[in-house]
Amino acid sequence: MIRLCIRYLNLIVLTILALIGLSFLLPFLFPGDLLTNISGITPDSNQQREALERAFKLDKSLFSQFIHYLENLFAGNWGVSNRTQLDLFDEIALTFPATIELVVYASVVSVTIGIPLGFISGLKHHNPFDFSVVTFSIVAYSFPVFWLALIFITVFSLQLEWLPTSGRIDLLFEVPSVTGFILVDIWLSDIPNKGYAFKDALQHLILPTISVAIVTTALFVRFVRRSIMDVMEKEYIIAAKSRGFTQRQIFFKHGLKNAIIPILPILALQVSTLITNVMIVETIFSWPGIGKWLIEAIYQRDYPAIRMGMLIVSLFVMILTISTEFLTRAIDPARERGVNATL
Amino acid sequence: MQRFNLYQEEYYPSPLMHVWLEFKRSHIALVGFILLLIFCGIALLAPLISPFDPNLQNTNAILLPPSWEPNGTINHLFGTDSLGRDVFSRLLFACRTTFGSSIIIVFVSVIIGVGLGALAGVLSGVRSSIVNHLLDSIMSIPTLLIAIVIVAILGTGLFNSMMAITLALIPQFVHQTRTFVKKQLQKDYVLLDKLDGAGPTRIFFRSILPGMVELIVIQATLALSIAIIDVSALGFLSLGAQDPNIELGVVLSQSLDVAYVAPWLVFIPGLCIFLMVLSVNIVGEGFRSALRNRLSR
Repeated sequence: MIRLCIRYLNLIVLTILALIGLSFLLPFLFPGDLLTNISGITPDSNQQREALERAFKLDKSLFSQFIHYLENLFAGNWGVSNRTQLDLFDEIALTFPATIELVVYASVVSVTIGIPLGFISGLKHHNPFDFSVVTFSIVAYSFPVFWLALIFITVFSLQLEWLPTSGRIDLLFEVPSVTGFILVDIWLSDIPNKGYAFKDALQHLILPTISVAIVTTALFVRFVRRSIMDVMEKEYIIAAKSRGFTQRQIFFKHGLKNAIIPILPILALQVSTLITNVMIVETIFSWPGIGKWLIEAIYQRDYPAIRMGMLIVSLFVMILTISTEFLTRAIDPARERGVNATL
Repeated sequence: MQRFNLYQEEYYPSPLMHVWLEFKRSHIALVGFILLLIFCGIALLAPLISPFDPNLQNTNAILLPPSWEPNGTINHLFGTDSLGRDVFSRLLFACRTTFGSSIIIVFVSVIIGVGLGALAGVLSGVRSSIVNHLLDSIMSIPTLLIAIVIVAILGTGLFNSMMAITLALIPQFVHQTRTFVKKQLQKDYVLLDKLDGAGPTRIFFRSILPGMVELIVIQATLALSIAIIDVSALGFLSLGAQDPNIELGVVLSQSLDVAYVAPWLVFIPGLCIFLMVLSVNIVGEGFRSALRNRLSR
């Protein structure tokens, strides 16, 4: 167990270092002036340029530049954005929680719908219910997210006028940002008409969450269904059956755990797909998250912003995947590494 | 496969035939297969089928509705867009770009991925764990992020977005190949080859690869559906193919400006992407269950 902990700690530290190293090298690869790519400031005069070069240690060796970069990174001194000249740390602290919020709600929806549905259809497979679940999952998995989001907007916002088209909350409400999660912020704030604000924020959330969650739910259903079908054919299930346990007892005692463990790492890997989808949906719904922020950054060639945004998002995904893998290994040490569930 | 036994010989279908016979049993899978063939046909024959030049602007017929609407004409099957270009021809060419580039992406990533996976499977110790962890890290970076970084370095364009998607797809193939090769290397038939004096290259190509083809095809159908969605998503965000290049996502995002007046211009290209991905997924699913069941009947 201690060996496992040390190994995964080692892995996490190494991966983080590799990602930071990559983000350190990015400004050298981006086109344009290296100094502007690193600092986000276009120098007016030669004096300013020299001062900036000294500040970012560009006159020193590559190694001392890297050490300087690390120091700045951990001090929260991430430089400024090219287009707004605002501090990148503040901008990311504002936009990233909005993305996480959407990711969390979408995964909660997918888990609460997808996993039970997968179990039900996998336990009694090849009946009409299972057939319709499989059909749903194949169809839903084939939806391009941006098209789905656009159709939702056309139907529910423009035609039926039930739900708002864009943003997180109506402009009438001024919610101070504390945690960055809009629902939590409303809960913590002391604005008048809290109930209305809460309801409004929920209405803004519904369409983006559903359009992301549909695709993920479809995937979860398929993984869970396959996994439980494989588990229920194992010898120990037949042995339990022959001992006279009921179907319900077998499922909760043996089936559930053994089916869930191999799909955990796969579900964690889906977070990367989920984040891609969330980023696309953000641009459609003008959700002020990091995806919209990054895509605007690329339109305006804001290299410091791209570098930092890329680092933060990939760190988040990486740490999540590695810790899930660690968790599954810790729960079930006998499981072979790299053997995951299939569709 | 019980047949009338006139001659004293038995009929044994080949493994591939087994798969096809099993695949044929599911009608839905067959429909998906036909749809996929149609898309292949469009990809190959688009310049021959399309009634108009896809970039020809007919200013006399702007925003014509599709032909099933009262105001539509039969000349323009799906109507015309805001510049008077024929939507049907544009869609044919767009399907060609999206489908063709996705197939190229999958093909390249299969070759690179299987090669790297074979290497990773043969390697052991520190080198193998470095390769594995490197791949796992690439796998967990979202595709859109890789695309954003590549576009930031090299600029926008269909080719650059294809590179980004290839990079994102490779790790799955490496992963699958690595686990498969590792498992097979412990089996007796490989040992037999070794005793016969076969080198690692020969063992991989002659003994392991033939058993792996089906696995790769299944993974490739999954990758193809992901590639189609990603190519069109990047086109939609205008990080992929650019304007004179007609691509489904680009066509969709161009019609967004007139979405209020002409919602079908948004609906039809999206439906096209959806059907394409759906047919790939159905064929993949049918193929998967055919492989699973072919010997049980």
